Amino acid sequence: MSIVENIKIAFSSIFVHKMRSILTMIGIIIGVSSVIFIVALGQGGTEKLKSLIVGSGNTVSLSYSPSEEEMKENPDALWSPFTEDDIRSIETIPEISKIVTSSDEFGNVRYRENTIESSISGINQTYIEVNELNVSSGRNLLPSDFLGGGRAAVISSGLSKELFEKEEPLGKIIYVQSQPFEVVGVLEKPTGLLASFSSNEVYVPWKTWRTITGNNKISSITIQAENTEKLQEAGKKAAQLLNQIHGTEEAYQVTNMEEIAEGIGQITSIMTLIIGCIAGVSLLVGGIGVMNIMLVSITERTREIGTRMALGATRGQILFQFLVEAMTLTLIGGTIGILFGAGVAYLVSSIIGFPIIVSLPIVLIGLLFSMFIGIIFGILPANKASNLDPIEALRYE
Amino acid sequence: MIQLASIKKSYSLGNEDVLVLNGIDLKINRGEFISIMGPSGSGKSTLMNIIGFLDRPTEGTYFLNGKEVLQYKEHELAKIRNRAIGFVFQQFNLLPRLNALKNVELPMIYAGVKKKEREERAKEALEKVGLGDRMLHLPNELSGGQKQRVAIARAIVNKPDLILADEPTGALDTKTSEQIMELFTMLNKEDGTTVIVVTHEEEVASYANRLILLRDGYIVQDIDQENRGEIL
Repeated sequence: MSIVENIKIAFSSIFVHKMRSILTMIGIIIGVSSVIFIVALGQGGTEKLKSLIVGSGNTVSLSYSPSEEEMKENPDALWSPFTEDDIRSIETIPEISKIVTSSDEFGNVRYRENTIESSISGINQTYIEVNELNVSSGRNLLPSDFLGGGRAAVISSGLSKELFEKEEPLGKIIYVQSQPFEVVGVLEKPTGLLASFSSNEVYVPWKTWRTITGNNKISSITIQAENTEKLQEAGKKAAQLLNQIHGTEEAYQVTNMEEIAEGIGQITSIMTLIIGCIAGVSLLVGGIGVMNIMLVSITERTREIGTRMALGATRGQILFQFLVEAMTLTLIGGTIGILFGAGVAYLVSSIIGFPIIVSLPIVLIGLLFSMFIGIIFGILPANKASNLDPIEALRYE
Repeated sequence: MIQLASIKKSYSLGNEDVLVLNGIDLKINRGEFISIMGPSGSGKSTLMNIIGFLDRPTEGTYFLNGKEVLQYKEHELAKIRNRAIGFVFQQFNLLPRLNALKNVELPMIYAGVKKKEREERAKEALEKVGLGDRMLHLPNELSGGQKQRVAIARAIVNKPDLILADEPTGALDTKTSEQIMELFTMLNKEDGTTVIVVTHEEEVASYANRLILLRDGYIVQDIDQENRGEIL
């Protein structure tokens, strides 16, 4: 007897008892859909986290982690380890396409009577492009601001809210470290994962920053290359060059964000796995439901089984018939579960703006697993059916 | 065709062994129409089950077409049931969710016959039993007599050597019973199919050429009804 015949029989007996079949499937549906939902959420979160850490575009940061002696010699360097000369030297490395610099300090920002503590960053022009700093109102810092050391500032939406409350911030004069600046733009609200962090930030051209703080050091350098391979090379060369200039051994290094991201990715994967396993337990419960209903169905169909045996069905064929029926039940449940789980995941994603990934492997795993549940919990009832005595079964009322 | 020798069958009931068949010797030739009669508990159903390979005897030998078949494995016996024997039951035992045509197709599904051929042969069989116009009806849309005709069509569709009918008229009224027995007679006469009917009604038994009487697990009479002569 072919598998197609078995599947037909399975479908017809599932459809005859619609209510019962649906109730049985609900267990599997809940199990599969929660696993799919959690894994989609987990994988989406992991990817988002990684991209946040690594940053978009082929970039790496240079970091300064001096040895103890080097630190004693030059204690201030830890906060602002790079100089303008460093930048000019690094610019000569051919693999580097862009250099992003920023100098950060915390300080007071005042508008009329309102004083707020904020991070104050002196940035170069490429910072805007590479970090995708976009304004929601007003304008961004322009090349002319960078060249002339103009008194223009772009502020974060968080700071705008705290500083101006309901007033229109554009064109207003704020005092950064007691120096007047014109607010020319307000940055877009961060979306997604970052939405919860409403940080206070002021961005001003680096030359202006140098003037108002009296500090000409640079706190961070990020370099960008055309592609990942060139990036590795560029990072290595830049670190080498800096160590050479400053006479240090390995104080200047490339921060490999990929590795950190992988580490964090692993943590979230483990979390996903654990929560997924808990959801998987409900699949087992669903499986027991399937076993229960299969046992009922077999008892009801004892006579049918006896008849089939008399007509020439082998025990193996009877076993297979009921195994296929159990698997069909769990596979239908699994398919609905996958659709439902993915649907809920997309819904949640579109409501709270959290990224999700419903990957093909997890869908396949979901299907295989529900089939597996069908086999595991179907084998006992199917075995019971195949071991019926045909004479007893034929007489069964 | 069939040769049974010293067939014994006992069941253990608690500590006691109950002997149901007590040494049956029986030879059945191709083309015979046999009825088996006997009071309840005489072992006629057990004998029938053994002949039909639904049950195995405790002792004895069984030759089918010259082959000793009791040593056969379970799946081989299933194959014999499928190809060589057609069962007809008192309660019809049609699958309630399948229409007449599908019910008749069942034995061919287990025989691995292709769908198209299955349909053709099932239609042919149903026409033969006079149900050409009821093929797509479900069992519960058919009368008792019609149900039994479907069951007979199902029994003959694999062209078996032997039809085994266990009280085939037990659930039918007299008139329908007559029609069913006439159908068996026709199958026996026209196709030469061997028919064995187990019954406790003498009228039903009278359709057969040969009557076997069972009592307490023995064959007590074996009569050639046509020639009124005793075979034993």
